[in-house]
Amino acid sequence: MFDQLFIGGLATGCVYAVVGLGFTLVYRTLRMVNFAQGHVFMAGAFLGLVIAERVHLPALPLLFVVGAVAFALGMVLERLVFRRLYHNHEVFIVGSIGLGIVLMNGVRVFFPEPVPFPKVFGSEVVQIGAARFQEGYLWVVLSTLVLVVLLHAMFTYTRTGRALRAVAADAEIAATVGVDVKRAIALTFGLSFAVAAIAGVLIGPLYFVSFDMGDMVGLKAFSAAVFGGINSIPGTILGGLVIGVLENLAGGYISSAYKDLVAFVILLVMLIWRPTGLLGRETPVKV
Amino acid sequence: MAALHQRWWFWAATLAALLALPALAPQYVVHIANFILIYTLPVVGLGFLTGFTGRVSLAQGALFGVGAYTTALLTTKLGWAPVATLVPSVLMTIVLAVSLGGAAVRLAGLYFVMATIGIQQIVWLVLMNWIELTNGPQGVRSIPAVGLGEYSLETPQQFYFLALVAAGISYFLAKRVIGSRLGLFLRALSDDQLAASSVAVEVGRAKVTALALSAAWAGAGGFLYAHYVRFIHPDMFGLEPSVLFLVMSMFGGYRSIEGMIVATALLESATEYLRPFGEFRMIAYGMILLLGMMFFPMGILTLVRRRAGAPAAGKD
Repeated sequence: MFDQLFIGGLATGCVYAVVGLGFTLVYRTLRMVNFAQGHVFMAGAFLGLVIAERVHLPALPLLFVVGAVAFALGMVLERLVFRRLYHNHEVFIVGSIGLGIVLMNGVRVFFPEPVPFPKVFGSEVVQIGAARFQEGYLWVVLSTLVLVVLLHAMFTYTRTGRALRAVAADAEIAATVGVDVKRAIALTFGLSFAVAAIAGVLIGPLYFVSFDMGDMVGLKAFSAAVFGGINSIPGTILGGLVIGVLENLAGGYISSAYKDLVAFVILLVMLIWRPTGLLGRETPVKV
Repeated sequence: MAALHQRWWFWAATLAALLALPALAPQYVVHIANFILIYTLPVVGLGFLTGFTGRVSLAQGALFGVGAYTTALLTTKLGWAPVATLVPSVLMTIVLAVSLGGAAVRLAGLYFVMATIGIQQIVWLVLMNWIELTNGPQGVRSIPAVGLGEYSLETPQQFYFLALVAAGISYFLAKRVIGSRLGLFLRALSDDQLAASSVAVEVGRAKVTALALSAAWAGAGGFLYAHYVRFIHPDMFGLEPSVLFLVMSMFGGYRSIEGMIVATALLESATEYLRPFGEFRMIAYGMILLLGMMFFPMGILTLVRRRAGAPAAGKD
């Protein structure tokens, strides 16, 4: 039972981690929280569904195509929408919640009922230790690993990645040494949309996809990001995994009714005890 | 030139219009007016927190729900008279807000918002899952109407006067609080915390007081709501109303109670009149939030005020 719960939790945790990365990327750069993130995850799942139903694509190209489309969408929305919301964090929060509502109900018009996702990742049952689970879970964990390695490589070794980090550290100084700050911010939104959409495609085949699936996942991914440190990428990943595993264990051993509570209790306790999160560094103003 | 709201005839006309409304307007309009009056309470409560400590809360919907559930459970399960549950509802909401949020209110800006999202979700999940106490997803049915002696306020027209009196009292009480010594402390706090603390404002206590005040108004609003709709469900107190209340207080400009009331009225009627659009209603609602924030980040009333030559809301 423990193995089963642990591996299931790890897979969910990976999704929280990847969606949470979207929160972290934007937060590091702008000190703003984009609450449309969960709905981008949902929209990604439906984008994958629509593509997979029309074109028969293997899993990897499908993930790539969805990531690319979401990236472009993120860049476009930054230019058209987000750029006008940088006024202060309340304005950004409410504006992004509004965008999330539009996304969610826009998808609802076309898909009012939950729909099954094509089994793009195979449907064999794998056995590890005492745990038996679908092949899809392995895909979630492995893809998360690959995604994190790719992101890390990009931030460490490429010119663009270094520019993004410079803007996150201090936009003004980055601008004085010739970094195109506007482009960096647009790229950040592109990346945050891409990772969330990819997470949507990964989780799709394991459950049904529905227009409101982004609500809870978004808020839990946000809790994961705050728990691990909302300005730290490794922190967010750790936070996602810990929350995914803990809530699955709590659901299995304590009470399935209160499973959803775990993430939010952790969020509240962490904020009061250590607002920067497990691995975050920045000191928030506290008087 | 004195501003519009300083003239006696403006007040007299407003009062006359409000009193005549249930007699002249169709029932549907009275129904919407009741919701506007009820929502005025949590929105003004939020104004205490936002306008006077600079903190934004996304848990007001949950506190509103705590007030509603307290009175609903006391009247349906223990058979209390509705009038007797007003004080327990308000107290319960304050206790819950201070015990969950008291430590979080020290957090600055965005970190406080994050904490309130946690509080919001915790309250909603408990309402949903503590089935022995709250009936969980079945909600609480047949909540009695408020009775005054033998007269019970059942129709929208009858309830309207209660809601009007409650909104009126809460408006004048709020004005009194703002004008009081405490209001002065709180305003000093939102302008500059360090400066305020250096002139002997107890920053920590003032913030918790602001939180308690905002909870009290939310609890009283929840009390009215429960006895008006008479059936409550946890989903009525999720993140959605929290966002709605926050938007109502933001659209009104941060520090103007009148602005918040007007914004509440506009937004509530807008969402009601969007009902015929069915599934497109929520898309339109999302667009209102998004476009409102993109083009009027300081509140919709700033547009009117700027034209009138008065200082922009939030700057006075």
